[in-house]
Amino acid sequence: MSLVSARGPKATVPLARWLARNRGALIAAIVFALSLGVVDWVGAGPLTYFDVSFLSSGGATSAIAAMGQTLVVLSGGFDLSAGAVVSLVNVALASSMDPLAPGANVVLWTLAGIGIGMTVGAFNGFFIAWLRMQPIVVTLSTMFILQGVTLLVMDKPGGFVSPDLGSFYLGDAVPNLVPMPLAVIGVVLLMWLWLKGSRFGTALYAVGSDPDSAAAVGVSVVMVRFLIYVIAGGCYGLAGVFISAQTGSGDPLVGNPLLLSMFAAVVVGGTRLGGGQGGPTGTVFGAYILMMVVNILLALNVSAYYSTIAEGTILILAVLAGSISRGSVLAVKLRAARSQFAAWRAGTLPAQLERVDRRMRIAPPTPSRPVTAPPLHVRYAETLRYALPAYICLVVIVIVTQLWLGRAILNPGYWNSLLVLSSFLAVLALGQGTVILTGGLDLSVPWTIGLCGIILAGMVNGSDVALAYALPTVLVMGLSIGFANGAGIVYLGISPIVMTLATNGILQGFALLYSQGTPAGFSSPMLRWFMTGRLAGVTPVVPFMLAFVAVAVLVLGRTPFGRRVYGIGNGVRAAQLSGIRVERTLILVYMLSSLCAAVVGVMLTGFSGQASLGMGDDYLLPSIAVVVVGGTLITGGRGHYLGMLGGVLLLTALQMLLAGTTLPYATRAILYGLVVLAAVMALRERRVQ
Amino acid sequence: MGIVSIARRIALMAGLVASAACAGSAAEAADKYKIYLSMSFIGNDWQAEAANMVKAMAAHKSMADKVDLQVQVAGPNAQRQIQQINAMVQAGAKAIVIFPISPTALNQVVKNACDKGVKVFAYDAEITEPCAYNIHIDQEEAGRVTAEWLVKKLDGKGNIVILTGVPGTSVDDQRTKAAKAVFAKYPNIKIVGEAVGMWSQAVARTELSKILATRSWDDVDGLWLQVGCFTANAMQLEAGKKPNELKPCAGEGANGGRIQMLPESTKVEGASPPYAPLGAPRISYASPPYSGALALKLAVQALEGKDVPKLTILPLPVVTSETVKLCEEGTWEEMKAGCNAFNPALVSNPGWFASIFSEQTPEIGLNAALVGQPEN
Repeated sequence: MSLVSARGPKATVPLARWLARNRGALIAAIVFALSLGVVDWVGAGPLTYFDVSFLSSGGATSAIAAMGQTLVVLSGGFDLSAGAVVSLVNVALASSMDPLAPGANVVLWTLAGIGIGMTVGAFNGFFIAWLRMQPIVVTLSTMFILQGVTLLVMDKPGGFVSPDLGSFYLGDAVPNLVPMPLAVIGVVLLMWLWLKGSRFGTALYAVGSDPDSAAAVGVSVVMVRFLIYVIAGGCYGLAGVFISAQTGSGDPLVGNPLLLSMFAAVVVGGTRLGGGQGGPTGTVFGAYILMMVVNILLALNVSAYYSTIAEGTILILAVLAGSISRGSVLAVKLRAARSQFAAWRAGTLPAQLERVDRRMRIAPPTPSRPVTAPPLHVRYAETLRYALPAYICLVVIVIVTQLWLGRAILNPGYWNSLLVLSSFLAVLALGQGTVILTGGLDLSVPWTIGLCGIILAGMVNGSDVALAYALPTVLVMGLSIGFANGAGIVYLGISPIVMTLATNGILQGFALLYSQGTPAGFSSPMLRWFMTGRLAGVTPVVPFMLAFVAVAVLVLGRTPFGRRVYGIGNGVRAAQLSGIRVERTLILVYMLSSLCAAVVGVMLTGFSGQASLGMGDDYLLPSIAVVVVGGTLITGGRGHYLGMLGGVLLLTALQMLLAGTTLPYATRAILYGLVVLAAVMALRERRVQ
Repeated sequence: MGIVSIARRIALMAGLVASAACAGSAAEAADKYKIYLSMSFIGNDWQAEAANMVKAMAAHKSMADKVDLQVQVAGPNAQRQIQQINAMVQAGAKAIVIFPISPTALNQVVKNACDKGVKVFAYDAEITEPCAYNIHIDQEEAGRVTAEWLVKKLDGKGNIVILTGVPGTSVDDQRTKAAKAVFAKYPNIKIVGEAVGMWSQAVARTELSKILATRSWDDVDGLWLQVGCFTANAMQLEAGKKPNELKPCAGEGANGGRIQMLPESTKVEGASPPYAPLGAPRISYASPPYSGALALKLAVQALEGKDVPKLTILPLPVVTSETVKLCEEGTWEEMKAGCNAFNPALVSNPGWFASIFSEQTPEIGLNAALVGQPEN
C-alpha cells in the first residue's frame, strides 16, 4: 500500500498484490469481526444498536489518538507525548468552559482542542525535523513538560465540559444506524485517504521506508517530518476533545495510560514499527480489538490476575497471525531447519565434509614501516562528541546544586548518595543500552525487576543463608526471561517492542499469581547492608558499581561480543554476510538486558528492605532516556557505555537537585523535560549531505 | 498466503468461542444478585488487601447465597474503566462496586448505569455523579489532624520534610492542601524539602535519599509523609540514630510502622529490625481498606430495598504512639477491644495496611484482609 496504490484507483493492481499490501489491516479487520462475534455470543443478549453505540464510544479516544501515532510510526518515528497531549487538551477544555454559559459551540471547542494538539506537534516537529534530534527523546521531554503544564492548568480532577459536547460526540450521526463516534473516525479516515492519495502521502511512505532515498528523489524530508508531527498532534487533540465530551470533566492524569495501549493498537493493526508499511485503517481495528478484549475477559470471567497474561498472549498471537506466510521469519527458519536436516541425512553439511584447507595462498605481508596510532583525542573524537554533553551538563547541575542548596561538591555524603541512587540506572543502562545498540528496545524491564525482586524477597525472607541460593535462582530466571524475549524476536520474527511489551504483561501476571497481590518476605541483613550500610565511609554498592562500569566498558568495547553488537546495529544484513551469528548474538543481548534487570530487582529489594509490585515501573522510561541522553543512537550502532553513564549521573543529579528544593511538582516536571531536551540538543545529527 | 493465516486465525477464535460458551452457561447463577467489582491497579498492597476483604465479605455465610461476585481490574486507565463499567451493565450487573480511578471521568458512564437501574458504589475515592453511593474517609480531616499532631509535637517550630502522594489526584490534593494550611499558621514551621512519594515505601526511600544527600538528619526536626514513616525510621537507624532519637513522623497506617510505634521493650513474635518495636514517635492514619467490603454490604442492603445514604463518611482511623496496642490473633472481637497492630509472624509484609477494623463489618477480620477468609 505504498507508491502504486497512492496513484489512485485508476492504477490496476492485481488483487493478490492488493491483498498482500493490506494484509495487516485485513487480518485486523477479520479479528475485529470475530471479536465482535464473540462479544455478541457471550453477551447477555444480541447486540443492539445501543450496545454498538456504547462500544464505538468506548474505543474512540484510543482509536483516534492511535491513528495519529500511526502516521508518526509510518514515518519511522515514535511519539511518547501522545498521552500527555490528550490530558492537556482535556484539562484545557474543562478549565476554560463556563458552567453558567448556556450551551457551547461544538465546532469552536473542537478546533481549540485540535489547535492545542497541533501546537504541541509543531514543537515536536521543530526539534525533530529541523534540528534533526531523535524523536524518542524529544517527545519524552515534551511528555514531561506537558505533564507539568497540565498540572499547572488543573492540579486535581474537576472542571466542567458542556453537555452539548457530550450529546454531540456520543449521539447519533444517523439515528439508529451510525453512532457519532464511528462517524468521527470515518471522517478522519476519509481525510487520511485523501492525504494518502496526495503527493504528501507518497512522500510520507517514502520517508518512512528510506529517508536518504526520499531526499535523493527530491522529497523535502524536513517539511514532511514536520507536517507529520503537526497532523499527529491534531489527532491527539481531537482524541482529547472526545474524551472531554465522554467524561464531561477534566482529569490531569486521564491521558497518560493511553500511551502503551496506543502502540499495541498500532501494531495489532498491522503497521510495522520502524516505518514504511501499514496505515491508520488497520489501527482503528487494532484499537477496537484491544478494547473488546476487556468485554471478552469480563464475559468469560477471567480472574483479574490472569488478565495481563491474556492480553500479552493476544498481542503476540495477533502479530504472529498477521505475519504467517511463506516469507515470514518463522517459515524461513523452519525451511532452513528442514534443509539443514536433509543435508545432515545426506551427509553434506559443512561439518560432515572432509576437512581440507582450501584457503588461498597469499604471500606473507612485507614488513612496512610501523603504523603510528593516532593520538587519543582523534581516535575517540566521535565517542567524545556524543558522550561529553552529558558530563558537561552534569558539572553544571552539580554547581547549581552547590550554589542553591549548599553542601554538594565538598560533601562526601552527596557523592555517595549520587552513586548509590545512580547504581540502579547504571546497571539497567548496560542492558537497555546494548539492546538499543542492536536497534531494539526492551520494554519488559519493569516487571522483570518486579518479579525478580518479589521472588528474591519471598525466598530470602530475612535469611543470609537463603540468599546464597535465592540469588543464583533469580539471576537464572532473569536469563531465561531474556532468552524467551530473544527467541521470540529471532525465531518468530516478532518486533522487539511487541515481544517485550507482551512479555512485560505476562511477567506482571506471574508476579501477581506468585504473590497473590501482596508480596511477602523481606531482604536479608547482608543484602540490606550492601545497599544501605557503610564500609570505610562509602556504601558497599559504590565499589561494586565502579567495578561494574569497568566490566561494562570492556564487554562493549573490547570483546568480540561487543563488536558484534555494534555490527548488528549498523546493519543486520551486512553483519550476517560478514559471518556474525546474528541470532545467537541477539538472544545473548536480550539475556544480558534481562539479567541486568534481575540484578536491579535484587538491588532495589536490598535498598527498600522489601519488594513491592510495580517497583520497576519507574525505571522503564528513565532507562531509555539515560541511554539516549548519553549519546546513543536509538536506531542502533552508535554509542558508548561511558556516555550512558554520564546520562545516568546527569539525570540522577538533576532529580537530587529538584528534590532538595520546595518547587511544586509541576514546575519540576517542566524543568526536568527542559534539561533533557537541552542535554540532547548537542547530540543532534550533522546534516547529511 | 493470506488464506492460510486467515484459516489459522479462525481455528484459534473457534477455540476461544467454544470455551466462552461453556463459561457462559456455568456462570448462570439463579436467585443471586450479580455484583461486579471494578478495581484499579492490583499492583499495590492496599488494593490487594481491599479486594481480599471484598471477596471475604461476599463469601461470608450471611452473603454467600445472595451474592454472585465477579472481580475485574481496570489498571490505572480511566478510559478502560469506563469501558469495563459499560460491559458490566451490558452483562446484566445488579450493582457495581468501584474503586474509581478518577472522581470525574466516570460520571457519564455511572449515570448511564444508574439510569438502567444498576446501583453504583464507590469506595475509598469518590465519584462526583450524584446518583452514585460514596464510602470514604474525609481526606481533608486526615491531612489536618496529622499536621496538627506534628506541629504540637514540635512545639510550633522546626524544619520539616514532606512527601506527597500521586500528583493530580483529589485525595493527594485534599490531604496536602489541608496539611499545608495548618503549617502555614505557624511561621516557625519551615518546609525544607518536599517530594512526590507516590504512596509507596520504595519511592519514599529513593526520594528521602535524594533530599538527605544535601542535608543531614540533624537539620530535620519532623516529617509529614503520606506514606514512608516506616522507611524514614529505618533510614535513621542506618544513619546511626538510636531509637530514642527518632524524629516525629506523621504518616501511613502500615503494619510495619505500627510495630515500630510499640515500646522498645515489647516482646513481638517474628520481629527483625527495622520491622521491630522502636518506640517511634508517630501518628498513623490510613484510608481503611475495609471500605470496599462495606460498600458491598451496603450494595446488597440497597438491592434488598433498604434505605442506604448516598454518602458514608468513615471515621478516621488514627493511632498514636500512646494508643498503639498489639493484637494476638486479629479476630474482629479482639480488634473491637482496641488492638491495632499485628505480629510480624502473622503479617510478614511491613507495608501491609493495619487499619482493617470497623464497627460495621463484623464479618471480616485479619484473615479476610490476608487471604480473603471471612470470620465465622
